[in-house]
Amino acid sequence: MKIFKINFKPGMRYIFTVLLFLQIIFISITAVAQVPADSTVTDSVLLKQVQEQLQASTSEQPTPAQPRSSLSFNPDIGVIGDFQSSYISRGKKNFDMYLNETEVSLQAVVDPYIRADFFLTFGRDPLTGKYGVAVEEGYLTTLALPAKLQLKVGKFREAVGRINPTHPHALPFIDLPNAYVNLFGEEGLNDEGISLSWLTPVKSFYQELVFQTTSGFSESPAFARSEGNHLVYLAHLKNSFTLSDNATLELGLTGISGPNDSARTTNVAAGDLTYKWKPVQLNTYHSITWQSEFYYSDNHNIPGNAINSFGLYSYLEYQVAKTVFLTGRYDYGQKPYNKSVKEQAYSLTAGWDATEFSKIEVEAKTTDDTINKRFYQAWLRWIFIIGAHGAHQY
Amino acid sequence: MKKRSALCIFLLLFTFAFANAKTIKVVTTTTDLRSITELIGGNKVSVNAIATGYQNPHFVDPKPSYIINLSNADMFVTVGLDLEIGWSPQLLSSSRNSKIQKGSEGYVDASIGVGLLQVPTSANRGEGDIHIYGNPHYWLDPLNGKVIARNIANGLERVDPSNKSFYENNLQAFFNNIDVKLKQWEAEMAPFRGTKVIAYHNEWVYFETRFGLKIVDFMEPKPGIPPTPSQLVKVIGEVKANHIKVIITSPYFTTSSADVVAKQTGVKVLTIATSTGAFPSIKNYFDLFDYDIAQLTAVLK
Repeated sequence: MKIFKINFKPGMRYIFTVLLFLQIIFISITAVAQVPADSTVTDSVLLKQVQEQLQASTSEQPTPAQPRSSLSFNPDIGVIGDFQSSYISRGKKNFDMYLNETEVSLQAVVDPYIRADFFLTFGRDPLTGKYGVAVEEGYLTTLALPAKLQLKVGKFREAVGRINPTHPHALPFIDLPNAYVNLFGEEGLNDEGISLSWLTPVKSFYQELVFQTTSGFSESPAFARSEGNHLVYLAHLKNSFTLSDNATLELGLTGISGPNDSARTTNVAAGDLTYKWKPVQLNTYHSITWQSEFYYSDNHNIPGNAINSFGLYSYLEYQVAKTVFLTGRYDYGQKPYNKSVKEQAYSLTAGWDATEFSKIEVEAKTTDDTINKRFYQAWLRWIFIIGAHGAHQY
Repeated sequence: MKKRSALCIFLLLFTFAFANAKTIKVVTTTTDLRSITELIGGNKVSVNAIATGYQNPHFVDPKPSYIINLSNADMFVTVGLDLEIGWSPQLLSSSRNSKIQKGSEGYVDASIGVGLLQVPTSANRGEGDIHIYGNPHYWLDPLNGKVIARNIANGLERVDPSNKSFYENNLQAFFNNIDVKLKQWEAEMAPFRGTKVIAYHNEWVYFETRFGLKIVDFMEPKPGIPPTPSQLVKVIGEVKANHIKVIITSPYFTTSSADVVAKQTGVKVLTIATSTGAFPSIKNYFDLFDYDIAQLTAVLK
C-alpha cells in the first residue's frame, strides 16, 4: 500500500502550518458568528437585525444561568395508593381489606399545541380476584385553539356535574352516592370520544359550555355501547359565581342522551349546586363545602314505555382544623329500571389529611331500601401519593 | 344639545377603546409581582394579581373566576420554583390562552437569574414541603426585586416592543430607588445584625440573609407540618437559651402555637408582611420592606 506523502522543505512546512492554523481560526470565527458570506440585500437586513439583537441583549444584562435540578423531558409521574378495609352488616363476608386501586399518572405538555394526561389503574377484578390494568383516562387537551375553545380527545371522565369528573381518591367520602352509582356505576361515566368546551364571553361570572360525544365503551347501568351507530351525546353548562372573596357558588346543568342495553335511548338530565366558603387569609385552617346533585333518568327500554326515575345526594363538608375534615351525606335514589325500588342512605366521614400526600378516612353509612331491611356499612381508606401530583379541580 | 352629548359619548367611547387597545393586560400570581409590573409598566399596563397579599401563596384555590382574567391576558408573571405548583398550572391550561403558556412570549418566570438559597441536594418529601429548585420566597430580598423587575421588563418588551424605551427608563428608575432604599433599610437593620429570632415557616431566608438576622428555628417542625408539642418544647428551650426577643410569623398562619411559647417565655409574636397588600398601609413593593423593618426594629430595640 502506497501512502501519498508530500515532502516539504523545512521553511515551506512552517509557512504551511501557519496558514492551516489561520484557516482553522477563520473557519471557527465565521461558524460562531454565523454571518453569511455573501452580502445580498436580504442578508444585510438580517445582519442589521442580528447586530440590533446583539446590542439589545447586551443592554438587557443577561442574568446568570441557574443550575436547575431534574431537568428532563420525562412526564410528571405520580403513583397513588388506595388501601381500604370494609365492613357490611349483611351477607356472609362482613369484613374485608384490599388495595382498592393503584393509579399511575403520567402528565406532560406534548408540544406548544397540546398536553397529554394518562392515568393507568391497577386493580383487582371483583369477579376473578385477579389484578388487571386499565386505562382510567388517557387524553390530549389543546392549549392553543382560537375563540376560547378547548378540545379533549381520548378516554376521559365525562363532564357530568361534580362527582363524575373527580378521581375517587379526591372525594371527601369513600363510597359513591347511591343515586350516582344507580345510573353510572362504580366506575362512573368514563368513555372514549371527543370533548369540546367553550369559555363563553360572559365577563361577570365564569361560564363554560361543554359538548361531548363518546362511543359508549363505558358500560354503565344507564348507557351501553350500541351495535349500530348510536353514540352517547352530552352537554354541560357550568356557571361559577364569586359571591365574595371567601365564597363561590357553582351551578351546573347536564343533559345526556345515548343508547341503553335494550338498544333504545336513555336520556338523563342532571343538575349540580355547590357552595364553597373558605376564608382567603386563613384558607388552610377552615372551610365549608355544600354540594348537591340531582339526576333524572328517562329510560326507554320497551317500545312505547319509559321509566322515569329520580335520585339525588347532598353533602356538607366542614374543615374543623388544618388537617381534620368532617363530611355528612344524604342519598336518595330510585332504581332506573324500577322506580318503585327506592333507597335512602345517610353517611358520615371523618378525614385526617396529614399532608397533601397522604390522608386517612373513616366512613359509616346506613342504608334503607324498599326490598331489603336496613343495613350498615363502614370503610377505612388510606390514600398515599408519591411523585408528582397535579392540582385538583376547584 | 343632543348632538353635543352624542359627540361627547362618542369621543369618550373612542378614547376608552383607544386606551383599552393600547393597555397590556397582565396577570401575576402574587401582589409583589403586580406591584413591580405596575412600576415598570406604568400607564401602559393593567395588572391583576391572583393571590392577595395576606394569603399563603402555596395554597390558592384555583377558582374559575381567575380563568376569565387569564383568558384575556397578554402576559402572565409567576414567582416560579414550584411555589404555585398546586394551582397555577391548572389555571394556565384552562385559560385557552396560547399567549401566556409556558414557553410563550407572554410567560414570565420572575425567578430566572435569582441567586437561589437552600437548593436541596436530594428531593425527599420526608423533609416536609421542600422545593426542589430552592427556597421560592426570594422576593423578600430587595436586590432580588431588581432581578424580578428585569424579567418583567424583558417580558413587557417581548409583548410590547414599541414601548421598550419607556419600560427601560422605568426599570432604571426602579433600580435607582431600590439602591437608595436598600441603603436606608440596611442602615436601619444594622444595629440588629446577628440577632437571633424564631420564624413560623421557612420563608424568610432571603430577608434574613440580606439584613443579617439569624433564624434559629421554626415553629413548624418541618416545612408545611403544623407545630407539634415536642417542637414547641424545643422552641421554648431555644428562646430561653438564646434570649430571643421575637417570633416572626405571617398573616396566613394562626398564632396560637406561637402564643403558647410567648406565654412560657415572654417572647413577642410579630406578624409581619410577606407580600404587598398584607396590611392596608403596604401599597407597593417598597412599602413591604418599610413596614417589616419598622416593625422589627421597634421590637428588637
